[in-house]
Amino acid sequence: MAIVNLQNVTYKYPLTHTPVLSNINLEVKEGEFVAVIGPNGAGKSTLCYTLAGFVPHFFKGELEGKVEVAGVDLKSTPLNEWVRNVGLAFQNPFNQISGAKYTVFEEIAFGLENQGVPRDEMNRRVDQALTMTGIRDLADRSPYSLSGGQQQRVALTSILVMQPKILVLDEPTSQMDPIGTREVFGVIRQMAERGMTVIMAEHKVEWIAEFADRVVALKDGKILLQGVPADVLTSHLLAENGFGTSRYTSAAREALKFNLWPKHLHLPTTLQEAVDGFNLTSAPSPKERGE
Amino acid sequence: MRERLSFYVKRESFLHHLNPLTKLTLAFGLVFAAFLSPWYWTPSFFVLFAIIPLSFIGKVQREYFGAALRLILPAAGFLFLMQSFFQPIGVKVIFKFWFLDITQESLMFAFTNASRIFVMVSSFTLFLLTTHPSELMSDLTRRGLPSQFAYVIISTIQIIPQMQAKAQTIIAAQRSRGLDTQGSFFNRIGALVPLVGPLVFGSLVEVEERAIAIEARGFTSTSIKTSLREIPDTRFDKMFRWFLILLVIAVIAARIWLS
Repeated sequence: MAIVNLQNVTYKYPLTHTPVLSNINLEVKEGEFVAVIGPNGAGKSTLCYTLAGFVPHFFKGELEGKVEVAGVDLKSTPLNEWVRNVGLAFQNPFNQISGAKYTVFEEIAFGLENQGVPRDEMNRRVDQALTMTGIRDLADRSPYSLSGGQQQRVALTSILVMQPKILVLDEPTSQMDPIGTREVFGVIRQMAERGMTVIMAEHKVEWIAEFADRVVALKDGKILLQGVPADVLTSHLLAENGFGTSRYTSAAREALKFNLWPKHLHLPTTLQEAVDGFNLTSAPSPKERGE
Repeated sequence: MRERLSFYVKRESFLHHLNPLTKLTLAFGLVFAAFLSPWYWTPSFFVLFAIIPLSFIGKVQREYFGAALRLILPAAGFLFLMQSFFQPIGVKVIFKFWFLDITQESLMFAFTNASRIFVMVSSFTLFLLTTHPSELMSDLTRRGLPSQFAYVIISTIQIIPQMQAKAQTIIAAQRSRGLDTQGSFFNRIGALVPLVGPLVFGSLVEVEERAIAIEARGFTSTSIKTSLREIPDTRFDKMFRWFLILLVIAVIAARIWLS
C-alpha cells in the first residue's frame, strides 16, 4: 500500500497559464527514499510544496488530480491537520528558524507546543530528537548564533520531533558549504537507515546515489524518467536534458571512449563503484607484476 | 553575531522568580501610583524605597545603576531644568536669570514630573532586566493573549539585528557598484532609495518562507497550545498583584479626596 499517492496532478500558480506540474503520477511506499532531480524550474519545489500541503492551501492556484498521503485526501483536509502527517524542510535554514525562541532546545519544542503535547512528553521527545540528529551540544545555544549546517540540522530536528509519517526535503543542502552538506546528509542518512519515508529534491547526485531507493527525474513539470539510482543517474537521457550527472559517471563515460572502463560493468554513480571499476581495468595482473 | 538580543540578565533572584505578570503589574503599579499621587514626594519615595531596593533584590543593581546614571538621570535632569525655567506658573520667584524666572511652584512642578519620569523608566528597566521575553510571552499567551500577537513581538525583537546585518550587506553591494552614500544630507537621503527596495522585497520573500516554516510546525493548529517552560504563579504572586491594584486605587482615592 502506497503511503503517498499522486494521480494526474496538474498545478498552476495563481495568475499564471502554464502548469508548473503537469500530469504527475507518483506512488511512494512506506519506508521508501525517493530523490527528485531536475534542472531549475523543473517543478521540484512545487512538487515538495504539494506533498507538504502548501500547494494549494497556502499558495492557492489551481490543483487538478488527486493527492493522498496516508490515506488522507489533500483537497478536503485543512493545512493545519495535513502538516501532522507531512514534515517539510527547505533550502534556506535561516528562514526556517521560528524567531520565537531563544535556545535550540526551545526551538525544537516549538512544534510540540503548538500541537499541545504535555510538558513531560515534550522534554523527552526533544531530548531523543537531539540525540538522534547529534546536536545535543547545541541545545542551549541561540539558533541565530549557529552556522548554516547547524541551523539546517536544527530545522530538520524540529520537524522530526513532530514524528511525521513522511518527510519532504526541498534541496536541504543547496546553501551549505561542503562541511554543512556533510553534516546535513549525515542526519538524512540516519533517517534513511531508520526506515523513514523521505521524498527529497536535490541536485547533489553523488549523495542521492548513496541513499535513494528510487530517483524521479523531473523536467518542465513532467516526470521524464524514474527508477533505481544506478539506472536513472547513468541514463543518457539525463545528460541530454541538462541534468547534472555524478562526476564518477562522467569520468567513467569519458574513460569508456578510451577503453579504460570495463565494458561489461554498469557506469558508476558512487566513489566506491568508480574505484572498483577502474581497479579492474588499471590494476596490473599478477603476471604483469612479475609474480 | 551577538547572542544577547534583549535586556534580560540571567541571575538567580527573588525578582527573577516572580511571575512575569506580577512584575508587569509591579512596574505599571509604580508608574500609575507615581503619576496619580497627589503628593510631590511620592515618586522620590518610590525610588528610594522600592526601585533601588528592588534592583538589589533582583541582583541587577550594577546594570540598573549603569542605565540610571548614563541614561535615565540625564534625561530626567534635562526635563527638570527645562520645566523649572519654562513653566509659566507661580509667583514666588526664587531665582532670576536674564528673562527666565524660577518660581517655587515651577521648581516643584519640574521636580515632580522629572521624578515621575525617573520612576517610569526605572521600573520598566528593572522589569526588562529581570524578565525573559519568551517567559513573559508564554505566560501572557497562557492567560489568553493571542499567540500570533506574542509571536510578532518576540520574533521582531530577534529579527531586528538580522535586518540590520542585511541592510549593511545591501549598502556594501550598492556602494561597490558606485552608489555614493557619503557627503551631504540630500546625498545620503538619495542613497536610501536603492537600499529600501532590496531590503523590503527581500524581507517579503523571507516572511513568506518563515510563514511556511512555522505553519509546517503546526502554528495554526487548533489544539490548545502547551508551554515548554513552566512559569510558576504562586499564591504570593496573586496576593502581591492584588496589593498593587489596591495601592493604585488608594492613590486615586487620595487624589480625589484631597482635590
